[in-house]
Amino acid sequence: MKNNKQIKVIITKVGLDGHDRGAKIVVSLLKEAGMEVVYLGMFNQVEDIIQAVVDEDADVLGLSYLSGEQLIFTPKIVKEMKKNELNDVLLIVGGTIPVEDIPLLEEMGVERVFRAGSLSGEFIEYIEKNIKK
Amino acid sequence: MTENNIDEMVQKILDGDRRMLARAITLVENSRKGHRNIMKQVYPHTGKAMIVGVTGAGGAGKSTLTDILIGKFRKMGKTVGVVLVDPSSPFTGGAMLGDRIRMKKHARDKGVYIRSIASRGAMGGLSRATYDIIRIIEAFGVDIVIVETLGTGQDEIDIIHLVHTCLVVFTPGMGDDIQAMKAGILEIADLIIMNKADLEGAEAFIRHLQSAVTTANIPVGAWTPKVLPSVCVSDKPANIKGHDEIIKGIYEHFDFLNKSKALDKIRFQRLELELGLILKDELQNLIFKGLKGTGLKKKYITSIIGGENDPYSVVREILDNYVLHRKK
Amino acid sequence: MSQIKEIKTDDAKTEEKDWEEYLKGYYEKPNSFKTWSGLDTNGIYTPKDFDQEKHYQEKVNDAGQYPYTRGIHANMFRGRLWTKREVVGIGSPADTHARLKYLAEQGGTGLNTIADVTYEMGLDADHPWALNEVGLTGVNITNIKDMETLTKDIPLDKVSWSLITAAPSATATMAQYIAVAQGAGYDISKLRGSVQNDPLHFGYCGFKPASPLDLSLKLGCDIMEYCTMNMPKWYYTTVNMYDLREQGITAVQEVAYGFGIAMCYIDELVRRGLHVDQFGPRFSFYVACHIDIFEEVAKIRAARRMWAKFMKEKYGATKPNAMHFRFAVHTSGCSLVPQQPLNNLIRVAYQALSAVLGGVQSLHCCSYDEPICLPTESSHLQALRTQQVLAYETGVTNVADPLGGSYYVESLTDKIEKKIEEVMAEIDSVGGMYEAIRTEWLDRKLEDEALLRQKEIENGEKLVVGVNIFKSAMEKKTPLGVQRVASESGLQQINDVKEQKRLRNWDKLMITMRKLRDDAVAGKNTLPSMIEATKANATTGEMVGTVREVHGYHYDPMEMINSPFHFS
Repeated sequence: MKNNKQIKVIITKVGLDGHDRGAKIVVSLLKEAGMEVVYLGMFNQVEDIIQAVVDEDADVLGLSYLSGEQLIFTPKIVKEMKKNELNDVLLIVGGTIPVEDIPLLEEMGVERVFRAGSLSGEFIEYIEKNIKK
Repeated sequence: MTENNIDEMVQKILDGDRRMLARAITLVENSRKGHRNIMKQVYPHTGKAMIVGVTGAGGAGKSTLTDILIGKFRKMGKTVGVVLVDPSSPFTGGAMLGDRIRMKKHARDKGVYIRSIASRGAMGGLSRATYDIIRIIEAFGVDIVIVETLGTGQDEIDIIHLVHTCLVVFTPGMGDDIQAMKAGILEIADLIIMNKADLEGAEAFIRHLQSAVTTANIPVGAWTPKVLPSVCVSDKPANIKGHDEIIKGIYEHFDFLNKSKALDKIRFQRLELELGLILKDELQNLIFKGLKGTGLKKKYITSIIGGENDPYSVVREILDNYVLHRKK
Repeated sequence: MSQIKEIKTDDAKTEEKDWEEYLKGYYEKPNSFKTWSGLDTNGIYTPKDFDQEKHYQEKVNDAGQYPYTRGIHANMFRGRLWTKREVVGIGSPADTHARLKYLAEQGGTGLNTIADVTYEMGLDADHPWALNEVGLTGVNITNIKDMETLTKDIPLDKVSWSLITAAPSATATMAQYIAVAQGAGYDISKLRGSVQNDPLHFGYCGFKPASPLDLSLKLGCDIMEYCTMNMPKWYYTTVNMYDLREQGITAVQEVAYGFGIAMCYIDELVRRGLHVDQFGPRFSFYVACHIDIFEEVAKIRAARRMWAKFMKEKYGATKPNAMHFRFAVHTSGCSLVPQQPLNNLIRVAYQALSAVLGGVQSLHCCSYDEPICLPTESSHLQALRTQQVLAYETGVTNVADPLGGSYYVESLTDKIEKKIEEVMAEIDSVGGMYEAIRTEWLDRKLEDEALLRQKEIENGEKLVVGVNIFKSAMEKKTPLGVQRVASESGLQQINDVKEQKRLRNWDKLMITMRKLRDDAVAGKNTLPSMIEATKANATTGEMVGTVREVHGYHYDPMEMINSPFHFS
């Protein structure tokens, strides 16, 4: 627990992509690490996700991409986050992401990318060390 | 948070600032500095919403039912606040808050505010924080607050003090636990919902529940629980049914509360319980704060193990030292 | 002098430390003797493990002889090599067509196209949800023109084409393919190929809204029935065990769940009055080949034996080829990792090997960049070359079932068969596969297994090079480049679709749509009327949506748009 508060994470998929095996595993592992995780599942549009981040006062937003859509949706997500003044929310991304996209995503505002194959220790530690609130 | 910040925050919430609402809830949920002040300021603006509880064992379909009820209330032009409580793991303290996923239709409806919280060890998920959160949402200004918690009807009886109308949700195939549950259900439920009523065994179960209600010793003048079927999940829109009757039932019950003196009684009991929870919370905080770093806790426990003391005497001593003669 | 001595001592210390580690590796023992799916193995297997003669007669037999443990054909690859059928799906129909042609020129022997997420959901390219994602993971076919573009100049009566769509939207796919073939003057009874058409598993690929169970069964079997009667060379289903395996389950569960689903279709076809001897010969499967070589081969052999028994004893098949477990293999995508990506070439090679040792009919090798992006031309080619090296250089094609008779493989085959029976009994106890899916029993199993697999890697029970052993810094670039799908491609297709909708003859369309609706209402096979509707420029979303509505579902799986047709 950071700042005497439990970490609240939203894990979600964006758009039509239906590969949710990884997202579900991440949810379970974060729960086992003591975090409170809202799982939004599949078929979410950008505005729905942002509304959830606001209403749940999330500390972390994790996007799961497994259909090559990361460069399409991330800018939209970042734009909406800025519009809603969600700068204190830690934005992380996971999935099938080429290394070439990592600097592009980071430039857009993603704090860290965790590719498929990442072990839970990495992202749990990262979240605990880097949440902004 | 400074005094001014809290004032500002509360004012914004009263003016309908959703983001401040969300933040205030976090503050209060985690007992962070300023939470008492928020609750003090928010309190006068509460008491106007109708509070509906939805409880039942896991797998009963509460979230899908809540989703449909939200839609019905919205069609009636009512604004809705929703608190979804999921269990925290007793081992890791973490939680998966997976109810919101079933309410996507309302994701962008400004007339609906949905918040997921973890039970954090509270029985049935009803901690002091849950009460506080409901109050803040009331102050924000909604007509209805729906609170969804886990409960099989045996231990989590507190929900009746938290809400005006309590829905207990069952599904067919719950077996012989019904016998053991009967006494509990009738204590808690204002509406008994038979969800997944299209499944085998539903009709028999409804009859069973109905007879339990009929044969129960319901005091004269008290509300008789209604048994209502519901089908929530069907890809075929035409198959979803029962919810107009449920809404009707909720309003009938609320009317009943208003007409009889029951509403006053509920208000009294709710506050009684709330006071108890806040008192317990504050006392515990005080004492642990006082004991922290002094090494006294260890000393006390060691002395009990060593036979020089007993738990009751220790507590008496702590209370004397830290409460009755408050040392800063 | 002393200084030099000191330096020497320091060096020696450093060297000692390194060699210690090195020697540990030299004497290293494996930390597990289980198969990937968790089955125990002995250190060695010998003839003492079973009565070989009896075992051979009853349970094994020659290739091409019941129960076909050793292969469905007596001469296996001597008679014909497996089809080298790389999956292709990228961008617009024109883009996909180009890649298909490329691989065909490089020696691919079977055509194989896969739908993108929008097409799998049964959405037209211009659907609001489709706008961002058309062509990202496959190809979207909205109308007949799209299918014409995809198949342009390709002699459909000569090639073998696998269409990978499942869900009820596979009916649209078949309608589109047949409409194009008929339009080009082909006799559809000569067409060779397959359609995946396994709608029951499809919810587990993330397409639940597109695959309501009862509609899936109905439309899926409409295709199966139609093809059985009209397209004798067409495999009307490839029951997809592969995608279930991708969820993280074991080899045993893969076969058990796959068989459970297959039987739902067979039961329905039998209910419709068909006999297994009629449709059995074109029933096929899509199988995973994961990284444990012998386990995968044994799994396939067990599946062949069990399937033959089911078809013969449970369904009364008498024709040999109605009892055949014929299958295509897709090497395991989930076993590949982006860390040290070139290692994936090796993994795929081993997996292709087990597919061939198992006697596969048609093979897709993943490209090494499967966990990174869509295949580039180079990586796609590399996958094909993997097959070609295997086929032409290694000699594994000389002999049918070369691992047959291996004491280990025969024991493992028997063991896996027994385990599959246990899981199938478990499925029966929850009411059969349809019930298991409907009650989400299967969802729970898949989630539990997926979490277990992750934990096995996290705690070192399963070792993956680059992930939990022999890790290295992240590579600076993807070795063979990154495949991008140009957004112009999707936009162009969306505009084309809108244009087609605008230009078509509405009256002609309505006549065909009315017929489709009437057939759906009457419970008839909807494929014939879908074919006619396709010719009148009906779209995927319109055809599938109309049938959905008749069955009480929302026209649109995403519940966003309404039917443009007024049928009253």
